[in-house]
Amino acid sequence: MDSATGYLTTTVDSVVNWARSNSLMPMPMGLACCAIEMMAFGGPKYDVGRFGSEAMRFSPRQADLMIVAGWCSYKMAHAIRRVWDQMADPKWCIAMGACASSGGMHRCYGVVQGIDNFLPVDVYIPGCPPRPEAVIHALMDIQEKIRNEYSIAKDYTSGPQQSTVAPINPGILTSDGRTTAGGV
Amino acid sequence: MSELLKFHFTPADKARPEEENLHAQVSTDVTDVIKALQEQFPGAVTDVSVYAGEHTVFVARENLLQVCTALKETLGFTYLVDLAGVDRFQEDAPRYEVYYCFVNLKAGKRLRIKVRVEEDDAVVPSITGLFKAADWNERECFDMLGIRFKGHPDLRRMYMPEDFEYYPQRKEFPLLGIPGSLPLPPRTPEGELTLDPFAAARSGSPVKSYQEPAANDEK
Ligand code: SF4
Repeated sequence: MDSATGYLTTTVDSVVNWARSNSLMPMPMGLACCAIEMMAFGGPKYDVGRFGSEAMRFSPRQADLMIVAGWCSYKMAHAIRRVWDQMADPKWCIAMGACASSGGMHRCYGVVQGIDNFLPVDVYIPGCPPRPEAVIHALMDIQEKIRNEYSIAKDYTSGPQQSTVAPINPGILTSDGRTTAGGV
Repeated sequence: MSELLKFHFTPADKARPEEENLHAQVSTDVTDVIKALQEQFPGAVTDVSVYAGEHTVFVARENLLQVCTALKETLGFTYLVDLAGVDRFQEDAPRYEVYYCFVNLKAGKRLRIKVRVEEDDAVVPSITGLFKAADWNERECFDMLGIRFKGHPDLRRMYMPEDFEYYPQRKEFPLLGIPGSLPLPPRTPEGELTLDPFAAARSGSPVKSYQEPAANDEK
């Protein structure tokens, strides 16, 4: 493999992505009834420890995945955004349940009609409340997303517009044993 | 006694066999208390209504404190269960109504009192001096309906932000609120407050932090 395919960076990337995706530490932003299902998601029966996310972190500094579980009032929104801003990058966000995703049945003056009005949400979970399996599925989607991210190629994470180096395109080993053309 | 319930699905109240309404319970029969109030404060009780065997006593605003003091100190109603406001917009005048539910724990009796106030003079004396439990309920009532409680030690909003300008449970208040009255947080750490409640629908969701504009010290 020649140097143009970025052997070192892609390999380190895959190791880092493997480590990150299998040790997501959720920040449980439990706001309403959905938080009860989030507890089941962390508890022994559904056992999210199988996916490496059993360590709920109540300090935003130690968390990298925010699960917003429940309806969010306009007054609470400011606190949530503050907690989100204190979380270290890289970080991801799940909108759990109909209320966090869209306001749900609380279509009224006091409830934010979807937390994506002030947070960059990665995965939305439908349901009222969603079953713990659905939350695990959302977590697996986030893991999938992380495994496809470039983390060592720092120029990418500082924004594609400002990047002088294009993202690395690693060669892929096909089923018949060939390596597809990678390169920049 | 005009609106007695005609359906009988609860067992008859053995304590009051002469009572025509089988639905009535002894705990809500407070005729003796009403009589005592009427004798003690002539003119204070403006009306008494009965529905499903429950008495509701309408009290004039000027006599509310006197009546509550007598209820607590001589008539044994020491427990304030509930206190809240009602907006009767376009239904009836006067527009606002505050109700108080008391319980006499010793005698096992319940009593409901109502005070009605006009829209342009929505002030009710606070009973926090008598019942501490009234504190947060009065604040909630003020927050939601804008009824002021004279003499309340700390009449701040209960649920809505302190600088909110409206009273959301008044019936003319729009269900989805008034756009711009409740700002959302900024979409980037350095940004401005979002005044549009449907910002995501109109201008997209906030971006991930590595796509945010660079902070001043990073430029
Ligand atoms: S989606 Fe349903 S369960 Fe979840 S917070 Fe809303 S009302 Fe509660």
